[in-house]
Amino acid sequence: MCSCAGNISRYRPEPLNGLPLRHTLDDVPFFPQADYQCGPAALAMTLAWSGLAVTPETLTASVYTPAIKGSIQPAMIGAARRFGRIAYIISAPEELIAEIAAGRPVIVLQNLGLSWYPVWHYAVAIGYDSKAGYMLLHSGKIPRKRMPLKLFNRTWARSDYWGMMTIPPNMIPATATEADFVESVFGLEQAGRRQAALEGYQTALTRWPANLAAGIGLANVYYAMGNLPAAEHALRETIRHIPESGAAYNNLAQVLWEQGRGPEALNAARTAVRLGGGRIDLYQETLTEIQKGLGLQPSEGNLPALDE
Amino acid sequence: MFMAILMVLICMPWQSAMAAMVGTEVVIDSARAEQARAVISKLLAREDIQRALIAQGIDPLEAQARVDSLSDREAIRFAEKVEQLPAAGSSVAWVLGLAVLVFLVLLITDILGYTDIFPFVKKKA
Repeated sequence: MCSCAGNISRYRPEPLNGLPLRHTLDDVPFFPQADYQCGPAALAMTLAWSGLAVTPETLTASVYTPAIKGSIQPAMIGAARRFGRIAYIISAPEELIAEIAAGRPVIVLQNLGLSWYPVWHYAVAIGYDSKAGYMLLHSGKIPRKRMPLKLFNRTWARSDYWGMMTIPPNMIPATATEADFVESVFGLEQAGRRQAALEGYQTALTRWPANLAAGIGLANVYYAMGNLPAAEHALRETIRHIPESGAAYNNLAQVLWEQGRGPEALNAARTAVRLGGGRIDLYQETLTEIQKGLGLQPSEGNLPALDE
Repeated sequence: MFMAILMVLICMPWQSAMAAMVGTEVVIDSARAEQARAVISKLLAREDIQRALIAQGIDPLEAQARVDSLSDREAIRFAEKVEQLPAAGSSVAWVLGLAVLVFLVLLITDILGYTDIFPFVKKKA
C-alpha cells in the first residue's frame, strides 16, 4: 500500500463520518486576481463570504509585498484579524474536506511550479468531488476551476497542506479542537480586535465552559476595555468552573482592587497565593501590593480571613 | 477588634496597586505544555516504547521523572515533533510502524538527555 504524496484517499470522507462524497459551495464570491495578486484576491473572496464588503483592492496594501511580488502567510493572517475575522489554519486534506462539507471556503497555498522553482499561489477551495476525483477552486482568473485531486494534492502538499479560513468569531470550525480554537481567538486579542475577541471567547466558552484560557482571555479583554464589572463577572464564572485557578483569583484580586473593594481583593489575592503554582511569585506580588495599599504589613496572618 | 479594623479599611484612601494581571498568552502556553506532557507520558506508558527503552538500558520510571522536569518549551517542541509524524499524529493509541517507533524512542532519549542525536533537540546548558 503506497503512502506517498500521490495518495488521494485522504480526500475521500470516511464512511462513518457522515460527510457527503461531493459538496460545492455556491455562496463564495469570485474576484479575478490582478498580476501576482492572488493573495488579496483569495482573501477578499473568503472575507466577502464571511459578510464583509471588501474587494482585492481594499486588501492589497495589507497583504501584498511588492518586493517579493506576493503575499506571505503571516500577512494574510494579520489582515484577516484586522477585519475582525478569526484566521483558522488547517493542515490536512481531511480537514479541508470536512470544512467545505460544513459550508466554509478555505484559502489554500499551492506550489504550482517545481520544488526548486516554486510558483506559490493562493486559491480558494469551494468544493470537492471525491468520486469523480477533483477539487473546485476559485483560482486566478477562473471561477469554479476543476483540478484533479492528484494534481491538487501534489501542489498543496508542498505547502505542508497550509489552509486558512476567515470566519466570524461566532463560528467554530468543524474540525476545531478546543486548544486550537481558543488560540485563534487569542490572535484577535493580540491584534487589538477587542469586540471580535470578546465574541470569540464567548463562543469558545459556550462550547467549552471549562476552558481556562478563554475565561481569562474574556476577562482580560473586558479589563483592557475598562469594563471592570464585566471582567469581574467573567472571572467569577471562570472560578465557578475551575475553582483551583490561581490565575483567575489573581486577576480577580486586581479587578476588585481597581473597583475599590479592598477587603475582597485581599481575600482573592490570598487565595491565589494559597493555590500557588508556577506563577506564585506574581500572585505574591499582587498580594503584597494590595496589603501595602491597605496599610497592612506584608506578612502572613495579619487579619483573620474575611468572608466575601 | 475585627469590626474596628474593617472600619479603618473602608475609610482609607485607595492607592492604586501596581499588581499585574496574568495575561492570556501565559495561560494558553501553560495549557499547551500540559497537553504536551500528557502526550509524552502516554508514549512512555506504551509497552513497545518501554521495551525499546529498557533495551537501551533506560529505566522507564526514571524517564517519566525526567519528563516532569522538562521545561514548557521543551515539552511543547517534543509534542510538535510527535504530531508531525505521518502515522501517529496526536493519537498515541495507534499501532506504530518500526521506523516511527525507532524515531520516537530516539526523540524521547534525546529530549530526556540520554542521547544527543537530533540537532533540533536543544540541550540545557
